[in-house]
Amino acid sequence: MLVGSSSAAGKSTLSAIICRILHRRGIDVAPFKTLNLSLNSFVDRDGGEMGMSQAFQAWACGLEPECRMNPVLIKPHGPGRMQTIIEGRPREGTDLREEAFERAMDCHRSLADDHEHVVIEGSGSAAEINLRDTDIANMRTARATGSPTLIVGDIDSGGVFAGIYGTYMLLDPEDQRLVAGFIINRFRGDDSILEPAIRRLEEETGMVCMGVMPYMPLRLPSEDSMDLGSGGSLSGDDVRQAWMDNLDRMAEQAERCLDIDRILSLLRASSS
Amino acid sequence: MQWVKEKVRAELVVGLRGPDPECEYHPCHYEGQDCSWCFCPFYPCEIHELGDYVRSSRTGEMVWSCVDCEYLHRPEVATYVAKRVKELFITDPEDPRLKSLFKELQTIHRPRGKAIMVLGATSDAGKSLTVTALCRIISDMGYTVAPFKSQNMSLNSFVTRSGDEISRAQQLQAMAARMEPDFHVNPILLKPKGDSISQVVVDGRPFADYDVRSYYGEFIPQHGFGIMERNLEYLKRKYDYVVMEGAGSPAEINIYDRDIANMGAAKAADADCILVVNIERGGAFAYAYGTIMLIPEEDRRLVKGIIINNMHGDPSYLDSGIAILEERLGIPVLGVVPHLDLKLPKEDSLGCKDLEGDGPDVAVIRLPRISNFTDFDALEMDGARVRYVTAPGQLEGADLVVIPGSKNTVGDLEWLRSSGFANHLTTLAGKVPILGICGGYQMMGSVIEDPFAIEGDEPSTVEGLGLLDITTRFDSRDKHTKQVQGEIAAGGGRVRGYEIHMGSSDRGGHDPLFLIEEDGRMKKEGCLDMGRKLMGSYLHGLFDLPDFRRFALDLAGCDAHRGEDRDHKDSVEENLDILADAFRKALDMAVITNEFMEVMGSDR
Repeated sequence: MLVGSSSAAGKSTLSAIICRILHRRGIDVAPFKTLNLSLNSFVDRDGGEMGMSQAFQAWACGLEPECRMNPVLIKPHGPGRMQTIIEGRPREGTDLREEAFERAMDCHRSLADDHEHVVIEGSGSAAEINLRDTDIANMRTARATGSPTLIVGDIDSGGVFAGIYGTYMLLDPEDQRLVAGFIINRFRGDDSILEPAIRRLEEETGMVCMGVMPYMPLRLPSEDSMDLGSGGSLSGDDVRQAWMDNLDRMAEQAERCLDIDRILSLLRASSS
Repeated sequence: MQWVKEKVRAELVVGLRGPDPECEYHPCHYEGQDCSWCFCPFYPCEIHELGDYVRSSRTGEMVWSCVDCEYLHRPEVATYVAKRVKELFITDPEDPRLKSLFKELQTIHRPRGKAIMVLGATSDAGKSLTVTALCRIISDMGYTVAPFKSQNMSLNSFVTRSGDEISRAQQLQAMAARMEPDFHVNPILLKPKGDSISQVVVDGRPFADYDVRSYYGEFIPQHGFGIMERNLEYLKRKYDYVVMEGAGSPAEINIYDRDIANMGAAKAADADCILVVNIERGGAFAYAYGTIMLIPEEDRRLVKGIIINNMHGDPSYLDSGIAILEERLGIPVLGVVPHLDLKLPKEDSLGCKDLEGDGPDVAVIRLPRISNFTDFDALEMDGARVRYVTAPGQLEGADLVVIPGSKNTVGDLEWLRSSGFANHLTTLAGKVPILGICGGYQMMGSVIEDPFAIEGDEPSTVEGLGLLDITTRFDSRDKHTKQVQGEIAAGGGRVRGYEIHMGSSDRGGHDPLFLIEEDGRMKKEGCLDMGRKLMGSYLHGLFDLPDFRRFALDLAGCDAHRGEDRDHKDSVEENLDILADAFRKALDMAVITNEFMEVMGSDR
């Protein structure tokens, strides 16, 4: 599972990249995200509504998108008003959280039964301590699914070590045990300059750095408003094809920057 | 010492005199010092921030020495003392009331500036805005205050009255502090030139170019610390408060020992620090906790408060998180500042945002090395829609096209060609007005000569867009930096701005755009081709006064009378007050005044 130290840390893209790399190695993998807060939705073959980013990650896995890959979708419309979609269908009523979580875990179970591995994406920051009891999309999902977890931090906006360290430290001790490592995303320049800081972070937390991803001005479908205006290029006629071309270029780069074997062994350990 | 007493008696009688340029020692401390109290009526004050006991070489006795003290030479301090001396009818240097007057004086103006530092958990945390707000709040309380940022990386720079270049953000903060900005408020300015090389400006003047490695490896240890300490000391001597701004995050542990912009400066100034986190991007609690805990323990004690910034919605939503954070860190959250929509100049390229007016449509070409895009903030006052465009197709429908300033004229000119803008601009000439500012002006010409490789890596002659018949030559490393005023050459009113550029342009046969006042004469500046609707100028800030906005929008055929007929500065002033009010409301002001400002026994 990938969780973020902030919104727009690059979880969706990194999940898609990892899905893509594993798929290209002939591994049967599927994407999953418990809850998406987004206005960018996709409709699967059966007419079920789901988050755009999971649809895209499904394509990255060579799969047809299904709404069980994103069982809960919340579409904000206007201040304080939102529509809740569970397993592809709008739901009336309030206080849906526990039901939504249970159904989401059912969906995850069925996905895990059908596929060798599942790559899970968290939502927003994993350490929103004011939401500790209400957040179902991050560590609660990791606990319920027993997933080894990586924290993704965005270095482009500064303070990435503080963000990753703080995220780890504010988790409950039982959740900290699930966190295996971290990924530094969107780095520009020579990454040897980061070495001493990475080592210190590893020593202080016991997490392992799974890689430093370079900043890439390529565009994938953006998930929510935090991503708007982050730029990037997209060329060609068919936008889906253009996204996939960009994703393949990122995946090639990521093969060199991420410790894929280590990530794969984490997946194997948890799926067995 | 009787003669000294007589001097003081004379001073008490005369009162405020201001500077004394006739004096053979003037200025013994600094330009603009007040000379009313050449002999101090409070001697020996025994305030160890102002002087010390030393052994007299003549008599061997311990005497109070305060040769470097500038306290009573500060105009506001001298004025206050003169006012009170007059009110109390003190004329005798032995008057015991002088002692209590001195105590009172220290509650009004601090003998030595107190530093408060604003740190950010991320680069977009809102440090700059917080410093701006605190400067205005402290100034509103009647104290003198100066902003300070030892090192700023920005392409938006400003030229001070003495022709020194500082960052635009510190200029705005100085305005909030109601002080005339000089280079001391931002002694190191990094202007990225591309390929991770920056031009480093020191004390307002170009110093040298560095890449990241040599900047931290050579510049910082050899020069950086000294520059930071010297300028901080200067401000602390002259102002009651110095509000310092950090750069990026203070917890970049890989460069911690070379960081003169964050805890390095905080330690040098013994500043009480406030950490600002931006709640909008998520993970604010984690960033706050991580930032503070990654600062080494001996420096961490300087961090005494946290501000949560940019909150959309009800702040009480954060209460449970704030309680946990305060408990785990033992540091109070001073307040939750709401998201504010203010009309204030933006700081850096992250802030290069479209203005969403419904008036004239202004397309600014988003050059890869765009600089001084604060030039366009003033257009908001005409309700203009300002769009930063990246593809020629987006020029469609524009009433006015602007080629803005650039940190790399030749490089960005190449980009104009490869992106297709160059051809498109040629076809637009005569139909839609095109305005080039500074680097954009140079690009509009026919040739750019760089015989000494000042812009590029090797000597070159580059063909410009050929819209204007001008030649630009980079013939010396001298940088033109000055504030200017004048009028629109074709009539229509005043213009005010500032120039920052290398190279100079001959104007070919074109009419000038502006007439600039220089040494009592009117100097021609820029180009105007009325027929082809082409304008070019070196002046940044040219839209600040309403007259040129009107002129350019008239040329664009827009209804120019809908705009606000006033100086952009007035609008900025208004917004600074709104900003300060919002912070006053959001923050625990008792903690700010008692703990951070150390205001004691004063009821202000």
